[in-house]
Amino acid sequence: MIYSLRDITKNYQSRNGPVRALESLTFDVQPFERVALLGPSGAGKTTLFRLLNATLRPTSGKLSFDGNDVSAMSSRELRQMRRRIGTIYQQHHLVPSLSAFENTLCGQLGSWSLLETVRNATRPTKLNTEQAMAALEAVGLADKQQARADELSGGQQQRLTIARVLMQDPDVILADEPFASLDPALTETIASLLMELVENGKRTLVATMHDVSLALRYYPRVVALRDARILFDKNPSDVSREDLDALYSGDAGPTVALRVDPDNQEPPRESRHKQHRAR
Amino acid sequence: MNPGINNIARGSDDHAWREAPRLNPRRIAVTLGFVGAIIFCWRAADIRPAILFAPGTLAAVWAFIRGLIPPDFSPDFLRIVVTAIIRTASLAIAGTTLAIAIGLPLGVMSTPTLWQRGVLLAGEPPGAVKLAVAWFSRTCRALLGFLRAVPDLMWGLLFVVAVGLGPLAGVLALAVSYGGVLGRVYADVFEDVDSRALEALHATGATRTQVFIRAIWPQAKPAIVAYTLYLLECCARSASVLGLIGAGGIGYEINLSMRLFEYGQVLTLILALIGLVAATDLFSRYWRRRLQANAPIGSLAYQYIDKRSSRSHAGRRTPATVLVLIAVVATSFYLTGFFTSTRAGLLSRIVRFAGEMFPPALDSVFLGSLAVPLVQTIGISVMGTLTGIAIGAVLSLPATSTLAFAGEDEAGKRSLLGRAARAFVYSATRLALNVLRSIPELVWALMCILAIGLGQFGATLAIGLHSGGVLGKLYAETLEEVPARPVEALRATGARPFQILLWGIWPQARPTLVSYTVLRWEMNLRVSTILGLVGGGGLGQAIYNNVQLGFYSRITTIVAIIYALVIMTDWLGDRLRNRRTAI
Repeated sequence: MIYSLRDITKNYQSRNGPVRALESLTFDVQPFERVALLGPSGAGKTTLFRLLNATLRPTSGKLSFDGNDVSAMSSRELRQMRRRIGTIYQQHHLVPSLSAFENTLCGQLGSWSLLETVRNATRPTKLNTEQAMAALEAVGLADKQQARADELSGGQQQRLTIARVLMQDPDVILADEPFASLDPALTETIASLLMELVENGKRTLVATMHDVSLALRYYPRVVALRDARILFDKNPSDVSREDLDALYSGDAGPTVALRVDPDNQEPPRESRHKQHRAR
Repeated sequence: MNPGINNIARGSDDHAWREAPRLNPRRIAVTLGFVGAIIFCWRAADIRPAILFAPGTLAAVWAFIRGLIPPDFSPDFLRIVVTAIIRTASLAIAGTTLAIAIGLPLGVMSTPTLWQRGVLLAGEPPGAVKLAVAWFSRTCRALLGFLRAVPDLMWGLLFVVAVGLGPLAGVLALAVSYGGVLGRVYADVFEDVDSRALEALHATGATRTQVFIRAIWPQAKPAIVAYTLYLLECCARSASVLGLIGAGGIGYEINLSMRLFEYGQVLTLILALIGLVAATDLFSRYWRRRLQANAPIGSLAYQYIDKRSSRSHAGRRTPATVLVLIAVVATSFYLTGFFTSTRAGLLSRIVRFAGEMFPPALDSVFLGSLAVPLVQTIGISVMGTLTGIAIGAVLSLPATSTLAFAGEDEAGKRSLLGRAARAFVYSATRLALNVLRSIPELVWALMCILAIGLGQFGATLAIGLHSGGVLGKLYAETLEEVPARPVEALRATGARPFQILLWGIWPQARPTLVSYTVLRWEMNLRVSTILGLVGGGGLGQAIYNNVQLGFYSRITTIVAIIYALVIMTDWLGDRLRNRRTAI
């Protein structure tokens, strides 16, 4: 088993008490498996991803990666684990002021020595340069290598995060809405690129999917999250219309609704701060 | 589809080796120029690292530190300390009040949207009066720039000559130099208000005064009050230092105790100074918090308003508050001897002094003699800032909460000991930064001169220590505010903290860090001109000597040179800030 989750619960602390993001999740992921995560927004998919790449700690429950308990890992072991997991973030998470080329190089940070880290910041080695250029070429961004990440379009940024993962060469790929900001033609290209990366038992893939038809087409296993719990965990051929209706029906809102308190709302002030920061 | 994508991490020969940026002649020239400038400044600031570790220096420092403890808390001395605090505080309050009196009219007059351009003037017929007013407005702005450019202590020295030794000189110095700061900030705030309100009122036929009172002032008020409170804090720091040139107060007492080798008293006074600055900070933060609700988004005031608070009860002003305020201000003026020392003949004395300052001395021998101090001043400011950068950079990393604490939510094993150690290092560096920052450059200079003797190196160290505290705090805050998402992504690839810092945090924080540092250098240039007053060399020394000798026309020349120097740094600073490079 590459991942084993036992009774995983995650609460976030907010001003109005804890907010439940995930509740009693139990499931396994086998090596080289391809898993699609479905669910409405706010169901806890992104939180689950952050648990899976060990940037977040579960409130309770046991998470094991490749047979090792994550909560018992030292920070060194954690880094070694993360090196084997490549994450494609929904909001891209690129360093805005670095070039596409430099952002791609970042994928390998974990395997560089300190000396290499400093040297690559000014003059990357021939090998690293070739690897990064190959990754950029694979996602069709070779001509944009010198553009700053914040000058790229949404779709280009999305492809750049994939290039970073190619550079990292991980055993597991976690993809949070990998096709969210791509047009249909690019979706097809990037989807087959991702599939090429994981087919023939090369890598494990866990991807959250917005597009149900795409998920059912490409993934042999579909896990559905709703209201912080697993609703179903099936083979796509067994997923029925009723399953999907239950998953996306509008009666129960996302968990965020738990903390809405009409008397104590202060969203305008918060957004003002954000605006201010952004300036 | 590229067939080789799975071989990427193992490298392939299909791709041409990306050309590394070549060394072009311009780059080499810039680098050489930079290195040359550093060496030049090193020489000019008389940097002698060896002297720091010389037995004599270490002995002096050790004797000083041993002398500091225990601090002198005897009742007799405490009475002196309390008197000094009250004196300094009243100096600050009176100075701020007069600064407002100077800054507000000048600020209004130099607001471009009122007198020079914009919706209020677009429809007016052109005419000589309009032109004259516009030029008067520009002159006011230039005057504000001049008031600002000359350091407060320099003003203090000039006023000591003009009105005699005592607190009055201090009040006037604060009033003039901070009046210049306030006037400029006020003008900026008035200019930045939403011009649609101006346009609407103007269109109804309102006069300029009405437009100002009804459209500009209400929008600008929170920012104005917030910045003025922030300025009170600066004044308190500055007032404590003005004592060194005879204005009395904490600075004077520190100087005196140093000379008497009563280091226990020095520690008490430094603690009192830190306490005073902290108290002003708390007071102004409290008032800024109360004002929060009214601040326009993105306004200048917004930067000075405490963002953490959530409640507000702004705008309620009771007659009692006003009465207390008036009483405090009046008491301050009384304590500084403002009323009693404004004796007859004072004005004529000022006029006579001003007359003696003109025409400025321009003989070549004198001008030639200024070359060395000028170079020294520049060298001190550059090397002092570099020292500050080094200290600030080293201390800011452990003081950055996002780096020091990997996060409550971080996965993995938790070692209680490790967390405790991190928390300790974090608190210790924060404390160190606060102490470095709270002690003004001039007091640091006194201590450095005690350890390594008179000269530019002591001044450089003093600037470095104070700037280190200021920059370290700003650096830590900047690093903390870097957008977290890219950092999280890098952490998720298994990058080490140092790698995250270099590849994720630094590229995002760089422009802000550069901007703060350049701003600090501009300030340090001003400071380095005055450290000469306590024996730190440079232009300050030249001023001091010429004041002693009564060559007032020479002072005019030196002040003009300082003004030109400050304008040049501003220009250079703007260029440095706007530069854009890769990592």
